[in-house]
Amino acid sequence: MATPVLTASDVSKRFGPVQALRGVDFHVGPGEVHALLGINGAGKSTFIKILSGIIQKDGGTLTVAGREVHFRTPEDAIRAGIATVQQHPELVADMSGLDNIFLGRETAGRGLFARIDRAGLEARAEALLARFAVPLDLRQEVGQMSAVEREAVAILQALAVDGIRVLILDEPTSTLTEVEREDLFALMNQLKTRGISIIYITHQLEEVFAIADSFSVFRAGTCVARMSVAEARESRVSLAELMLGEAVGDVFPPKAGAPAGEALLELEGLGRPHEFTDITLQARRGEILGIFGLVGSGCDELSKTIFGALPAARGTIRVHGREVALRSPRAALDAGIFLVPGDRRSEGLALSRPALFNVPLANLRRASGGFWALRRGRLRRDAQELTRQVALHPPSLTTPASGFSGGNQQKIVLAKGLYSQADIYIFVEPTVGVDIGARAKIYAQMRALARTAAVVVISSDCDEVHGVADRTVALHKGRLVAPAARGFSRDDLLMAGIMGEVAA
Amino acid sequence: MSRLNDHFRGAARVLGFVALVLGVGAVFALIEPRFLSHASLNGIARHMAANGLAALGLTFVVIVRKFDLSIAGIAAFAAMSMGALIAAGLPLWAAIMGGLALGAVLGAVSGIAISYFELPDIVTTIAVGSICGGLAFLYTGGRSIFQNFFQSGITDLNDARLLGLGVSLWILLAVYAAAWFVMSRTRTGMAFYATGENPIAAHFSGIATRRFVALAYVLCALCTVLAVLLILAESGNAETNKGANLMMPAYAGVFLGAAVMGGTSVVATFGGILLITMLLDGFALMGVPYYYSDGVVSLILLGGVIAFSDSLREWITGLGLLRPRAARKSENRA
Repeated sequence: MATPVLTASDVSKRFGPVQALRGVDFHVGPGEVHALLGINGAGKSTFIKILSGIIQKDGGTLTVAGREVHFRTPEDAIRAGIATVQQHPELVADMSGLDNIFLGRETAGRGLFARIDRAGLEARAEALLARFAVPLDLRQEVGQMSAVEREAVAILQALAVDGIRVLILDEPTSTLTEVEREDLFALMNQLKTRGISIIYITHQLEEVFAIADSFSVFRAGTCVARMSVAEARESRVSLAELMLGEAVGDVFPPKAGAPAGEALLELEGLGRPHEFTDITLQARRGEILGIFGLVGSGCDELSKTIFGALPAARGTIRVHGREVALRSPRAALDAGIFLVPGDRRSEGLALSRPALFNVPLANLRRASGGFWALRRGRLRRDAQELTRQVALHPPSLTTPASGFSGGNQQKIVLAKGLYSQADIYIFVEPTVGVDIGARAKIYAQMRALARTAAVVVISSDCDEVHGVADRTVALHKGRLVAPAARGFSRDDLLMAGIMGEVAA
Repeated sequence: MSRLNDHFRGAARVLGFVALVLGVGAVFALIEPRFLSHASLNGIARHMAANGLAALGLTFVVIVRKFDLSIAGIAAFAAMSMGALIAAGLPLWAAIMGGLALGAVLGAVSGIAISYFELPDIVTTIAVGSICGGLAFLYTGGRSIFQNFFQSGITDLNDARLLGLGVSLWILLAVYAAAWFVMSRTRTGMAFYATGENPIAAHFSGIATRRFVALAYVLCALCTVLAVLLILAESGNAETNKGANLMMPAYAGVFLGAAVMGGTSVVATFGGILLITMLLDGFALMGVPYYYSDGVVSLILLGGVIAFSDSLREWITGLGLLRPRAARKSENRA
């Protein structure tokens, strides 16, 4: 095998008390498409940030083409030939593809008023397109482009610098449709034939076999396996098992033993144009209902509609058997529905405020005992009790929420939900950015909640939905895919969510 | 343990602030002994009452993370309106009620435009302020209004004393006490703060964020009317420029207080406005023209905000081991 373009050996990184990476060994050969796998919190993104110069390693060495490198800034990494396309590429929507590609590099001249050589830029763009034959009109505004076209613009932007040898793609397919994904793979294959190595992060395991030559699996901050796809096929290793390790059985609590109780939340023919149609579902007391759906499947909109944050165009929502009009989150909360939103930092928490402030927010009436003035002593005792219950770590009521890890921030949102005393809990992407230990605790909390309430888990993580829910359905392009029998098998659920089909 | 720590940190900030006030007072007293005279201290109390009410109103708006640049315009319009009502022979209380009603309407106009119609706060309040500034000339074409002022008893608000303190100071203390109670001891206060901290999270917590943003502007306008009322009481007439000097001290008080106390709050604004008023009156006593002292206060405001800003402290303590911004952001995320 040829000498690697990029190697990392014994790389480590610590964030405060958290050892994010320890002793990571990693390499990529020239022209190799290398998939980087691992569950959330395994250290993938930390590692990628080190490779792209966004953060710096604490220990270990990085070499590019045999020479040791030290990246202090993203510019350093780019100069060494490593370009990164972020998960959500930051492009300027109302500028053309061409202008985006050369943004900030329009001219070799210096100063505010250096002349931009349009003809030269177009020539350079032509040259780029000649090297990588992408069917793309670069004069179009980025805002008008499809997801895969934007991805292509972002890739061209990364490659516009001379001497790029390694391209890092962070979950490029998460927002793409099936067809678009093929287009992206075609582009990746072209890059490969030009000798450019690709480090490719994905959660879609079947993609690994479709496009990658080799892969590395990260778990708990270290690289636990590296093999070629051919080897993996031959030895029939399970990627999921490699990613989850021994913890597979431990993360998820046992399923409900008793049969589910009465239906607390009933959706009938619920729909919003272009987002989801004809959703008919029941969530019962005593069970966890799982909804699996990829990004763009309508899951997020569905959750917000049930929570009153988006108006339903069609259909009815019944709570406790009674039809309700949920015009606002307030109305939903009053009806007993609590949403643990998908983006807890922007939708769930006042980050600069402590748990003591965040926990009572969704039920200020309880915090004031029905009166206007707060019952501060009781509030503090309740908050103390709930943060203990969700095992908040460190158990501080006065540390700003921003000072907690992702998992513990989620526990604060959970405590807020418990304080609101709802009986229908909707969790959206509950464990994104949550480490494996906190994940298990959050799942256990869901199970505990389900004893007295109805719990709905909506997630783009198939294993999570399958692992935690008693009953599963999938949402595919806004349509519900429900199993014939009680629940999907894991593979059938994946199939239903990705292809929109129920296995025969 | 951590609770004790927090109390300690809070106490340290208050002590630091008291030291700052005493220090500034001592410097002025050394340069100009008259600073500690009865008349001067009374003046500070009176000016603090007017400045403090305007600053309190602004505090609500800043807590919901907005700006209000209509304070001067609303003050002018309310001053002339109350003056006209008094001149027309209405009893004082009716004139005050008229002023407050006008303030509530004006605040509601800005507040509803900004919260429900999502207009930009700065542009909207500049516009409302300018319109009010123009409307202030409606009554007399800009001439001073003084008829009936002495008979109406408005000057008692300035001159009368209760338990040794001026009535205006009592008004200030009462309004501040009420505001402190609402903002830090009731669910309304929590809702205000939640709206400012993260409007989406507050909305998802069932808080009517738009209503609180609009309410903040109404409260700001009401406080502005009370502030200019005290200015009318002190001068004994109404003029179109009566509110002109309310805005800068209000902003300085709110932001200096927040910088020193570590966050915007009623108590922080009280401290901030005390300091700002001492500075303004001290300079006035030394014969520094207003336009200079305005500049000096603004400089002190900038200095205070910089001195207490987290990023600057980090920068100073982290000299030599500077890290790029992106790194810090991503660490927070991890």
